[in-house]
Parts: sequence; structure tokens; C-alpha cells
Amino acid sequence: MSRLRLFYRLILRPLHREPLRTFLVVLAVALGVAVVLALELAGDAAAGSFRSSIETLTGDADLEVTAIGGVPDEVIGKLATLPYSITVRPRIEDYAVVKATGQTVPLVGLDLIAEHPENLNLDRQNSAKADEIADTANQGVWISQRLGAKAGDKIRLQINDQTNEYLVRGVLKDSGDSGGLVLMDIATAQRALHRLGRVDRVLLKVPSTPSLEEWEQRLRAVLPAGVELRREGSQTDENRRMLSAFRWNLRILSYVALVVGAFLIFNTISVSVVRRRPEIGIVRALGASRSDVLTAFLGEAACFGFIGGLLGILSGRLLASGAVGLLGATVDNLYVSSRPAPIELTPGTILFGLAIGVGMSLASAASPAREASLVAPIEAMARGEREYAARVHKVRDLWIAVVLAVFGAAASLAPAIAGKPFFGYASALLMIAACAFAIPALVSGLTAVSSQLLRRIAGVEAFLASRSLAASLRRTSVLVGALATAIAMTTSVGIMVGSFRQTVQVWMDNQLTADLFLRPAGDPAVDRHPTIDPSLADKIALLPGVAGVDRFRGYEISYQGLPASLGSADTVGAHDLEKIQFLSGRRTSVVNAELRSGANAVVSEPFANKHHVRAGDVITLPLGAAQVPFRVVDIFYDYGSEKGFIVVDRSIMLRYVPDPAPSNLAVYVATGSSVDQVRAEVEKIASGHNLMIFTNRNLRTEAIRIFDRTFAITYALEVVAVTVAIIGIAGALLALVIDRRRELGLLRFLGAAVSQIRKLILVEAGLIGLLANLAGLALGIVLSLLLIFVINKQSFGWTIQFHWPIAVLLSALTLVYVATVLAGFYPARVAARLDPIEVVHEE
Amino acid sequence: MGLIEPQTGFPPLGTAKDVTGFLRLDNVTKTYVSDGQPVQALCGVSLAVRDGEFIALVGRSGCGKSTLLNLAGAMDFPTSGRVLLDGVSTSDVNENGLTRLRREKVGFIFQSFQLLNTLTVLENVELPLLLAGESDACDRAQQQLDLVELGDLGSRMPHQLSGGQMQRVAIARAMVHSPKLLLADEPTGNLDTVTGNVILEGLRRIADEGKTAILMATHSSESAAFTDAIVKMRDGRIQEVVRP
Ligand SMILES: Nc1ncnc2c1ncn2[C@@H]1O[C@H](COP(=O)(O)OP(=O)(O)OP(=O)(O)O)[C@@H](O)[C@H]1O
Ligand SMILES: [Mg+2]
Repeated sequence: MSRLRLFYRLILRPLHREPLRTFLVVLAVALGVAVVLALELAGDAAAGSFRSSIETLTGDADLEVTAIGGVPDEVIGKLATLPYSITVRPRIEDYAVVKATGQTVPLVGLDLIAEHPENLNLDRQNSAKADEIADTANQGVWISQRLGAKAGDKIRLQINDQTNEYLVRGVLKDSGDSGGLVLMDIATAQRALHRLGRVDRVLLKVPSTPSLEEWEQRLRAVLPAGVELRREGSQTDENRRMLSAFRWNLRILSYVALVVGAFLIFNTISVSVVRRRPEIGIVRALGASRSDVLTAFLGEAACFGFIGGLLGILSGRLLASGAVGLLGATVDNLYVSSRPAPIELTPGTILFGLAIGVGMSLASAASPAREASLVAPIEAMARGEREYAARVHKVRDLWIAVVLAVFGAAASLAPAIAGKPFFGYASALLMIAACAFAIPALVSGLTAVSSQLLRRIAGVEAFLASRSLAASLRRTSVLVGALATAIAMTTSVGIMVGSFRQTVQVWMDNQLTADLFLRPAGDPAVDRHPTIDPSLADKIALLPGVAGVDRFRGYEISYQGLPASLGSADTVGAHDLEKIQFLSGRRTSVVNAELRSGANAVVSEPFANKHHVRAGDVITLPLGAAQVPFRVVDIFYDYGSEKGFIVVDRSIMLRYVPDPAPSNLAVYVATGSSVDQVRAEVEKIASGHNLMIFTNRNLRTEAIRIFDRTFAITYALEVVAVTVAIIGIAGALLALVIDRRRELGLLRFLGAAVSQIRKLILVEAGLIGLLANLAGLALGIVLSLLLIFVINKQSFGWTIQFHWPIAVLLSALTLVYVATVLAGFYPARVAARLDPIEVVHEE
Repeated sequence: MGLIEPQTGFPPLGTAKDVTGFLRLDNVTKTYVSDGQPVQALCGVSLAVRDGEFIALVGRSGCGKSTLLNLAGAMDFPTSGRVLLDGVSTSDVNENGLTRLRREKVGFIFQSFQLLNTLTVLENVELPLLLAGESDACDRAQQQLDLVELGDLGSRMPHQLSGGQMQRVAIARAMVHSPKLLLADEPTGNLDTVTGNVILEGLRRIADEGKTAILMATHSSESAAFTDAIVKMRDGRIQEVVRP
């Protein structure tokens, strides 16, 4: 009890006396916690279920059967006639665009005659009676409540490149997630999608005995080689695996905000230790033990952490709502058409938030608290506190920095573990630490060099500012370190994204040589490949002014337990592939000839990295009735898909999967003909089809727009990290003013004008900003190299060319600099308002 | 013996007319309000100081010595009455004017020396000149340090000095711009007698040059021995003026 009272008097009351500073520290912790939590929550919501939005109405199936290009009807027949009591539920799975809203929703075709109505989750009041379903199955659609129509309404749906009107027969209850759904009878769906004789997936429910493994073996035996049998939900697992690297990277990025917050806690606690040394000495002289002092300061940190954690949880929940949209866009663009789940703030997450708040505070307070506990009682009589403030071993620290940097460099050379660049992260962390240790030397070196120079340029205030920064070296270093870390993060991610963007642009310039591009209307997504009427390509090819048409068809497949894309492309006289860049540097025509000549394939760089495939290796794909071995003849650069592409020749593909419908067309206009004229002709021919026609330039703009949307989340994160740092700077400058008030008052006695005091503080803010910008830029460049050549390469397999996004960097740095100086305004005001008599006679 | 004119409202050191000094206080009252209670720190104080005069303010703790010095240095303002510096009432001068006044005409020294620990000794002395934007700061500061016999220690940091040396640095700093008025609040309070006497002799020399008047608050009557006049204060009033 008396301990508590002591704690209150010596620790909490001082905090209470400086509410603004306390608030700023708590805010910094809160923001750090909020960012981490928001990303965790939003990540779970955006991709957390890892379920593709097509995974609906799947019931309680145990196994599933899939095949590239669809499971033939014969397979279903075979399964259904097996002498076992298994339930066989064939499904058509695709997407439809609701014309009224432009929304793309999953389209599921089920055998409604055989389907148990219970499985469908029908809204009874609003639907035909269950027994009527069978009678009316082939005449309409059932839609989810969310789409807003009633039984009896008409709804216009675009399926592939065709739009038709469908009668709404009934409404399905929404099952909690936010996407819509269109349900059809399987026969209707097959017709609408031109998928006669095939289904996309067959779900199987097997009796509980014998074991599932046993059943898998039995069924495997009767299925053709090209058809895959796996556990239901494998797709979800694959998605989870695919997204885990992405989420790790995001998580690490969010921890940087925590590191910045930790710097600031460290600063606050060490300042209060330095400031209260005599007080600690007195308390020790009066009988407090070392551990009492240690506990008191750790307790202070824990308070910061706890309150900051609580605030962080609340604001993290709010931030998550914003982040989930951004993250959803990233996931959709890079991975899988997902459906954001509701954001769930579980007791687990709350505990996690508090744990990181308190944990980070305690960790960063450990060293200053220990220092406090080492204060000897005799220091109660010490007259100068300042000697301690300046006691930083900058030379030793510089050596530590060098050692850390060497370790960091070594770690960057290590390979990925399980597809995750853990050594890359370690390397980045070591580099940040190295930077932190090098900063005292930088600060004292630069201020020593610059103080006389500053005096000449910016007057006595600048001279005093630089001196006082050098004198409170540790505090200055921590501040500069915090801000530099935030700047480094901004810079490195800026350079990385900028380089990536530039690389993609250059890549598109090379790759996209056709004049017009066609694809079915609707939002594009990496895992959807709606098709175009196969006859259209031939008709366009015959148009005057058209030099050629390339067809491309994409499929979603699973390769070695990870999702991937498989494409077939025209390679005969193919103009499109002409400029594709291969890792080998070979000409496209040479590679094309090899592709045409047999079961050969090219794979994209991310695919090659993910699956450790090299040119000359053989990959086996289940196609049609067989497992077909393809020799990888080359690897091409690709930045469109993270999961990776396998591309084979169209004619070869057609041998195994006889579906001639392409998903994309590229039209080449003959030299001398007008693109606009050809476009008009193409539009005329395609009038009965719902297609989007892009000119070359349109497509690039569109691609860059999608790129920017994909990376919006990273920009948002940067803003938060820098905000945390700026808040910290404001708080720290305020503390600086409070600590130095005697000195500031004295200057007034010596003839300083109020404006000079104000300028002094602003110059200090400016100097901190300048030092932080220097250190941050240097660290940022190192981190960007790590991001580009180690972390990204190991996580995603992309080769990004390093580019300097000068404009972005300059504007970001200027912004940070201006913000730092602005952060000095309030402390400067406080300084200007100090009463000199009061502060000088205080001691 | 000195002349005794307590609480008359007349200037104790000569009449107002024949005093041509830099500093004059006319019937000055200073009332602080602390916790809602008014505290009379000064009450009807009148005082005129001639150029080159060295005056000691003595009296018990809390009698208003520091308050008087603050008013005299235009760091604070009277509740009623006037403080005239160079014939101008401090209450009528704006912030810029006051700053200029302090820069050019007034110097301060304190009981606890108040050197800036981040600056060297020489830089501390230079400071008032730098703040005033003057050019030959370094030379003048060095001269001033030589005067207090610390010319060799210019590059040291304050914490490497003894208390007496620190106070001499503080005097050099207060004198570096040749002020008309030097205000010293218990300058020997933190020093032993011998060291304190060195400081007092230094102040005496400054006064003897005749350009700078010194107003010094002190507890000890011994230090008063170095001065031209002793102003005894009690409860915010001037009780007695003694000329040794
Ligand atoms: N800012 C203030 N607010 C309220 N009261 C004050 C303030 N400053 C001084 N006082 C009061 O005014 C009176 C005179 O104070 P002052 O500091 O001038 O005394 P002093 O003679 O310098 O004492 P000492 O010898 O102890 O330094 C005291 O009663 C003090 O309590
Ligand atoms: Mg006093």
C-alpha cells in the first residue's frame, strides 16, 4: 500500500503534471499498437478466411474432384455408379456480372433436382416451395438477399461475354459474409457458360468408415489420371499458404511503426531518469532499494503501455475498417477473388494488443530503468545532472553499429526458409539497429562540424541549438533514430514500390505490342478467366486492316499444393509473344518454335522461384485424362501474377482440353491502317458480346491504376509510421523545453528576445529533422535494396529493377522535414512563454 | 553615520533632483497573488542609484531583495509606482525595448552562477554579445575573461571550474557589454568567505571605474563592507540606509 502511494507520488504525479507530454507518449504507443492490430484484423477479414468467394453452398463434403478445363460428365457417372453410398454433388463455378450494379458475384450451378433443399439456405417466404424447385429448376436463378431482387423479378446477368435476362425464382439467405451469389440449376449453368459435358468441381461425401485415406485410395483408383482428387477445402489451405508470405511482409511493415513507438518510450523514460537523478538519489538515501527504483520506472512504462494499448485497440479497430478495403483490393489484385469477412475483435486480439503495448513499453524501458536503479544515494548531493545526460559511448556504439551491419549484410545472403525471407527480415532489423547505434557518432560529428558554420549562417540561436543537441546526445540520438527509422521505412518502401512500378511500366512497354485488347466486361481479377465466343477471333482476323489476332486462355490450377495460373497462347505468327523477355535472353521466336514443337512450356519468374523450377526441368500437369509432362524451355519475366504462370502453346493445349474459347484477344493493326477505324469495326462485330476493348494505351493506364490500388495499403502504412514519429518529435521537443527551461530563462536575462527563444527551438526541430533525414535516407536506401533484392525476391519471386523515384523521395522528405519543423511550433511557443524569473530561481 | 530616512517616500540617497543615476525607483509596490492571497513583496520603496555606486541590499529572507532586483532589471514590473531606467519607466517600454535595454544596459549575476553547461567558458561570456548580434564578440569576451583573471580557461567547460571561478565567469559575462547597471543576487551565497571576498573585490573594482552601478542582494553584513551604501530592508520596505 505504501509502495503504491510512493509510486503514485514519485511516478504518476509527475506524469499528471505534464499532461500533454504524457498524452503524446501514450498516443505514440497507441498508434503503434493500432497499426499492428488494424493490419492483423483487416488482414484476417480481407483474406483471413482464405476462402475464395466461390466456396459457398459446399455443404459438408469430404472430398472434391477437379480437373483443368473441367471434370467430364463421364467421371461423374462413374462416381455415381460406384457400389458405395457416397453423395456426389457436381458443381459449376464461375462468376457473373449483375448488370444493374456492375458487381461481380460468384455463379454456382448445382443439381437442384438432386440437391437437398436444406443445403441451399432458402428464404422460405420469398421463394418457391422446396418441392417446386425440382419442377422449375431449369427456368431461372436463385439469388442471395443482398442482391436486392425478389422472387418473380427479372435480373440481367452477364456470363462470360453474353448478357441475358433471368427470372428470379427465389432468394437465398445471406450467410454472414458480404458477397452476393447467383445460383442456377447445373444444366442451365452449363448452357450459359458453354460448358456442356463438363463441370468444374465434384464434391463427395463419403461414409465415415473406412477412413478418409482409405476412401481417397479407393476413389483415386477409378479416376482418370488427369483428374485430381483431394480433400474438400484444399483450395482454402492453398490460399492460406499463398497469402502467408504476403501477410508476413505486411506484418513486418506494421512492426516498424512499433519500433518507432518503442524509440519514443525509450526516450521518455530515459529523459525522466536523467531529469530525476537527484530525486532518485534522495529516495535511495531515504531507504528505497535498487529494485524499488527499477520497479517504479518499469511501472511507469507499463502504465504508458497499458493505456496506449487500450487506446490502440480501439483505434486499431477503427483503422481496420479503413484498411480492410485497401487490403481487400491488394488481395483481389494479386491473389484471389475474396470476400471480406466481418472484422472481429476477439478477446484474443484485445489481449494481443495489450500485450504488445505493455511488452514494447517494458522492453524499451528496460535499459533506462536499470540505469535509474544504479543511481547511488550520494547523487542526491550531486550538483550537475548534465554530465550523465551526455554519457554516451559513441565510439563503442559506432563499432557495435559496424558489427551489426556486417551481420546484417551476411544475413541478406542467406536463402529463404519455407518461402519466407526470415533472414531478410533479420537483416533489415540488424540494419535498423546498426543505424540506431551509428546515430550518436553522426549527431556529435555533424553538430561539432556544423555549430560554428551554423553560427555564421543562421546566427547565435542555431549555434546554441546545435550545441544543446550535441550536449544531450543520447536524447537527440534517440529522437533522430525514431524519426530516421520512420523515414527509412517511407523511403525504402517508396523506392521499392517506385522501382516496381517503373519495372512494370518498362515490362509493359516491351510486352504489350498489340494495338487492341479484348476481354469480357467486368472487373478484372487474377483468378477469373471469363471467356469470349471462339468464333469472334476468326471474324476479327478477317477484318480489313487487321494484321493478326492472338488468343489467350487462362485456367486456375493447383500446382504442388499452391494455386497457379495456366495459360495457352497462340505462338504461330504470334506477335504478342514477340517481345516477351526471357531470363535466358533468347529471342521470342526461338522459344515459340520450341513451344509449338511439343509438350513444352514456359513459366513466369515468380512460378520458377516458388516451385524451384529451372529451364530444362519437367513439370507434370494433369490435363484431360492424363498426367502430361511438360519440359520447361524458358522462364519469362512477369509482373502480372504473383502465384505464377505456366504458358503452353494453344494447339498443344487444345489436344488435352478441347475448349476453344479464349479469355483474351490481342489485335494487331496492319501498318498504314488506323487503329480507330479497326476499333470501330471490331466494336461492330463484337456488338452482340459484352466485351471491353482497350487500346494499348488504355490497357497500360488500367494496369498502372490497378498497380497503385494494390499498393495503396503500403502508402497508408507509411503515413502512419511517419505520423507516429512526428508526434514523438513534438512530445520530445516539449520535454526538451521543459527540461531546459532554466537555461531558456537565463538566456532572457542575458538579453535574448522572445523571438530568439522561439527560433532556438525551431532550429533544434529543424536540425533533428535534417539529421533524421540524412540517416533515414541512408538507411532507407539500404532497406530498399533488401526489400527489392532479398525480401521481395524471396517472398514473391519478382525481379525488380532498382530505380530512383526522385520526385517521390524529394517530396516525401520535404514533407517529413516540414512536419518536423511544424512539430516544433508548439514547444517553441511554450518556450517563449516561460517566465524567466520563475524558472531561473526555481533551483 | 548615514542619514536615516525611513518610509518617507523620498529618495534615500540624495534627493531625486540631484541624483543623476541610471536607476530610480519611485514609490514602488509589488504585490504577488499566490493561491488567491495577495503577498506584498515590496511596499512603497523609493531608491535612486548613482552611476558607479555599489549598493548592498540586506535583510532577512523573504524581505523582497530579489523582487527589487527583478524590477530593477526590468524582468518584472511594479504593481504601482515607477521603475525608471535611464529616465524611462519600464512599464512604458514594449517587449523589444526591454530586450534592448537588457542587452545594452543591464547585467545579471546569480547565486548559483547559472552558466550554460553546453557552452565553453569563453562562449558563455560571448553569449550576451551574440544575442545582441554584435560582431567582435570573441575578442571582447576574451578581454573580459582576462579582467577576471581567467583568460587561460576559456576553452574549458563550466563543470571543470570551481565555484569561485564560475562566479568570476558569470561576472565577466555580465560585464561583457559594459552595462550601466549590474544586478547581483547573493553572488557569494554559494562560496566560502575567502572566495566570496575575491568576488566582492572584483565587484568593488568595477564600481570604482565609475561607469557601472551595482545593486547586490546579500545576507552577510561582511560583504556589505565592500559597498558604498547598505540598504536595510524588512517586510518589503526600506528600513534604513547606512553609509559606512
Ligand atoms: N512569484 C511569486 N509569487 C508569489 N509570491 C512571491 C513570488 N515571488 C516572491 N514572492 C514572495 O515575495 C516575498 C519576497 O520574495 P523575495 O524573493 O524577493 O525575497 P528575498 O528577499 O529575495 O529572499 P531570499 O533572501 O530568501 O532570497 C516573499 O514573501 C515571497 O514569498
Ligand atoms: Mg532572493
